[in-house]
Amino acid sequence: MTLLQRSDWYDVARDTNWTPSFVAEAELFPSDISDPFDMPKAAWAEYDEPYKVSYAEYVKVQREKDAGVYAVNTAAARTRFMEEAGQRWHSVLKLHFGAVCLAESSSQISEGRMARFGRAPGMRNMATFGLLDEIRHGQAQLYFAHESLRYSPQFNFAHKLLGTQEWGAIMTRSTLDDVFLGRDAVTTAIMLTFAFETGFTNMQFIGLAGDAAEAGDTSFSNLISSIQTDESRHAQIGAPLLKLMVKNGYKAEAQKAVDIGFWRTYRFFTLLTGTVIDYFMPLEKRTSSFKEFMEEWIVDQFERTLLDMGLDLPWYWDFFLEDINSFHHGMQIGWWLYRDTVWFDVPAGVSPAEREWLEAKYPGWNDSWGRLWDQIGENIRAGKTDLTVPKTLPVVCSFNNLPLVTTPGKSWDPQGQMLTYKGKKYYFQSHVEKWIFEQDPERYAAHQTLIDQFLAGKIQPPNYEGALNYMGLSPVERGKDAENYAWAFAGREPRKMAAE
Amino acid sequence: MREGPVEQAKLKTWSALSGQRRKPSEYEAVAYDAHFLNDYAQPGKSGPALPSIGPDSFINRWYQKNLIESPLRHDDWLAFRDPEEVTYRRYNIIQEGQENYVAEILDRFSNEGHDTGLSAEWQTVLARLYTPSRFLHHTVQMASAYAATTTPASTISHCYAFQSADALRALSHVSYRTVELARCHGQAGFNEDERSHWETAPEWQGFRELMEKVLVTYEFGELFAALNLVAKPAIDEACLRQLGRAARRHDDSVLDLLSDAVLKDTARSRSWTQALVKFLGARDGNVPLLRGWIAKWEPLADQAIDAFCAGLPDGDRAAVAARQATRDFRAAMGL
Repeated sequence: MTLLQRSDWYDVARDTNWTPSFVAEAELFPSDISDPFDMPKAAWAEYDEPYKVSYAEYVKVQREKDAGVYAVNTAAARTRFMEEAGQRWHSVLKLHFGAVCLAESSSQISEGRMARFGRAPGMRNMATFGLLDEIRHGQAQLYFAHESLRYSPQFNFAHKLLGTQEWGAIMTRSTLDDVFLGRDAVTTAIMLTFAFETGFTNMQFIGLAGDAAEAGDTSFSNLISSIQTDESRHAQIGAPLLKLMVKNGYKAEAQKAVDIGFWRTYRFFTLLTGTVIDYFMPLEKRTSSFKEFMEEWIVDQFERTLLDMGLDLPWYWDFFLEDINSFHHGMQIGWWLYRDTVWFDVPAGVSPAEREWLEAKYPGWNDSWGRLWDQIGENIRAGKTDLTVPKTLPVVCSFNNLPLVTTPGKSWDPQGQMLTYKGKKYYFQSHVEKWIFEQDPERYAAHQTLIDQFLAGKIQPPNYEGALNYMGLSPVERGKDAENYAWAFAGREPRKMAAE
Repeated sequence: MREGPVEQAKLKTWSALSGQRRKPSEYEAVAYDAHFLNDYAQPGKSGPALPSIGPDSFINRWYQKNLIESPLRHDDWLAFRDPEEVTYRRYNIIQEGQENYVAEILDRFSNEGHDTGLSAEWQTVLARLYTPSRFLHHTVQMASAYAATTTPASTISHCYAFQSADALRALSHVSYRTVELARCHGQAGFNEDERSHWETAPEWQGFRELMEKVLVTYEFGELFAALNLVAKPAIDEACLRQLGRAARRHDDSVLDLLSDAVLKDTARSRSWTQALVKFLGARDGNVPLLRGWIAKWEPLADQAIDAFCAGLPDGDRAAVAARQATRDFRAAMGL
C-alpha cells in the first residue's frame, strides 16, 4: 500500500479561503449570520479543529457504527426486552425521543449554517460532517421510536411533539430557537457545540447510556452511546473558536455567549435528564444521582475546560451550584401533577425506598419536597386522586416556560424575578432568566408561553380540557401515573391502607 | 406539521403519515417532516420562522425574505420525496464502497508509478485546471450546506446536505492528488499556485464569478435554479466530465477514473433535482419562474464553461459538449 496518510494532505483540504472580487466579502459573509464580531482574518487564520477526520474515514467509520447500532436492534430481541421492561423504562424512552428526535434533526440547520458561514475552512469542513451527523441522530432515533409505536401511541410524540403547543414542546423550541437555530455561525458554535454539546449532551447520552445498559436495554444504550461518539467530534467546533476569541480580544463577547447558552441548556437538561435520573429510573438500576452526574460532567469537566480556555465561570455559578440541588425536584412534581399534559406516563419515583435514596443523595429532601409528596400520597390513599390533578394552568416563567417553583420552606424573591417591558409584566424563574431577557428584550418579548396563548384567547374552550386538546393530547395520549399509584401503597399493610 | 390530538390507540406509523395509503418506507419514517422550523417557514406561510424569537430579529427577517417570501409555491411541500430514498445509513453504505474503490485506484496507480508518466504538457493543464478545483468544489460544498438550512421540507434539506458532503469528497480527492502530484513533479507548481490560479487565471474567473454570485443568492427558489439547474451542471460537465475525458487522452487514468467516480454523486444529485422540478411543476407558475432564473444564470455558466475549457486541449469541442450537456439535462425536465 502506498496511500498517503491523512496528515499528508489534510491541510491542503482546509486551505480553501480565497479573496472574492465579484461580490463583496460582506455579502459573502454577512456579519449578522456569520461573525457578528467581525473578527479580523488573522484571528480566524488561527482556527485549528482538534478532531480531524477525512471524508473517506468518516463514511467508513459511520457505516460501521450504524451497522452495529441497527444490528443490535433485531426485532425479536427488542420485542422481548420492551415487553418485559416495565412502564418506567418506556416512559424514559418516550420522554427522551419526544424531546430529542426532532431537536437533533433540526440542529442540521445549525450545522449547515456553520458549514456555510464559518470563516475558517476547517470549521466549515467539520460542520459539514456535523450536518451529516445530525441527520444520523434524527434518523436513527426516529427509527427506534417508530419501531416502538406498537407498544404505545405515546411513542408517536417522537415525531409529533415539537409540532404541537404542548408546554414541554414550547419550552424545547424556545430553547433551541434561542441557542442554536436563531444564531449566527459564531454564536451557534459557542452555544450549541460548546455549551450544549460539550457540556450537557455528554451527560444525557453517556449518563443515560449507562443507565440503559443497567436496565438491560442494550440497543438503546448502543444507539445513544454511538451518537455520543459523533457529538464528541463535532462538539469540538466551538472550543478552538473560543480560544481564538479570548486570544484576540473578544473574551467579553465569548463569555456572554457561554453564559447565556449554558444557562438555557442547563434548564432544558434539568427537565430532561434530572427528573429521569433521579425519579424515572428504577431504583436498583441507578448508577449516580443527577447531582453527582452534574458534578462530574459539568462542575468538574466543564469548569476546567472553561478556565483552561481563559474564560471565567459564568457569573451565576454559585447560584447554579445551589440550583442543581433543588430545581429538578420541583420539575418532577410538575411532571407528575400535570401528568395529563405530557406525552408519557409519569413515574412518581417516591416509594419509601426511593425516598430514602433521595434523602441520602439530597439531605433535607424529606423535609422539603417530601412534604409535598406526603400530602399527595395521603390523597391517593384516601381515594381522592382527583385532588392530585390541579385542573388549572400554573404560573410559568415568561422566558423558559416552566412552572415557577421554589424549594418548600425557602424564601423567595418575587421582586427580583419580574420586570415590566413595554407595558407587559414578565415573571422569571430566577434572576438569571431575567438577566438573559435584559440582554436583548426585543428578541424575547414577543414569545408566548402556553399561558400567554391562553390569555390571548387562542385556547377554546378556555378551560383545562380545552388546553389539553390545544396541546395536541387526546385521552389516549395523555400521561397517567406510570404505576397506577402502587408506589403510594408500597410498604403499607392493606388494613392500614383501608383505614386511611 | 402542526397536529392536534390523535385518538387511535394503535398506530402503525407516525400519525402524520397515516393518511397516506401506502405503508411508509424506512426512508419516509425517518426523513419526513423532521424540521420543526418548517411548521412556520415555508413559501407562502405567515411566519415568523422562529416564533419564540422577536419577529424583527435578523434570523426571522432572513427566513422571511429567503424562504417564506420565495415566489415558488406548493400545496404540500412535505410531500417531496428523494426518488433514491437516501437515508443517512444508506449514504454511508454507498459512499464507503465508492471510497474503497477510489482508494484502490489511488493505491494501484501509485504503485505502478502512474504520475511519472504524465507529460509536461498535461502537468501544466493539471496544475492550472485540476488542482485549483478544490476551491471550486468548496464553493459547492458551502452553497449546498446553506441551501440545506433554507428549505420548506427536511426531505429537500437532506438532499442538499448529502450534496454538500459529496463536494467535500471531491475536494478531498483533489487535495490528495495535489500532494501526490507535487511530490512527483516538484517544479510544476502543484500545491503552490492553486489559490492564485483560482483568483486570477482567466480559465477560472468564469466559475469564480458564477459561484461567488451563487453563494450570495440566499432565496430558496432562485438558489435551487442557480445552483442545481445551472451552476452545478456546468461544473460537472466542464470540470469533471470534459476534464476527465481530456485526462483519458493524456494517459492520466487516475483523473479519468476519479472524475467518473465523482460523477456518480452527480447522478444522485441530478435524480433528486429532476424530482424536485417535477414536484414543482404540479403547480402553475413555478416552471416559468425556474425558466426565468435559468435564463438569468445560463450566460454566466456558459461563460464559465468557455473560459475553463479554453485551457483544455481540444477546448472548443469540450466547451460545446459541456454546454450542450447542461442544456440536455434541463431539456429532459422540460426546462
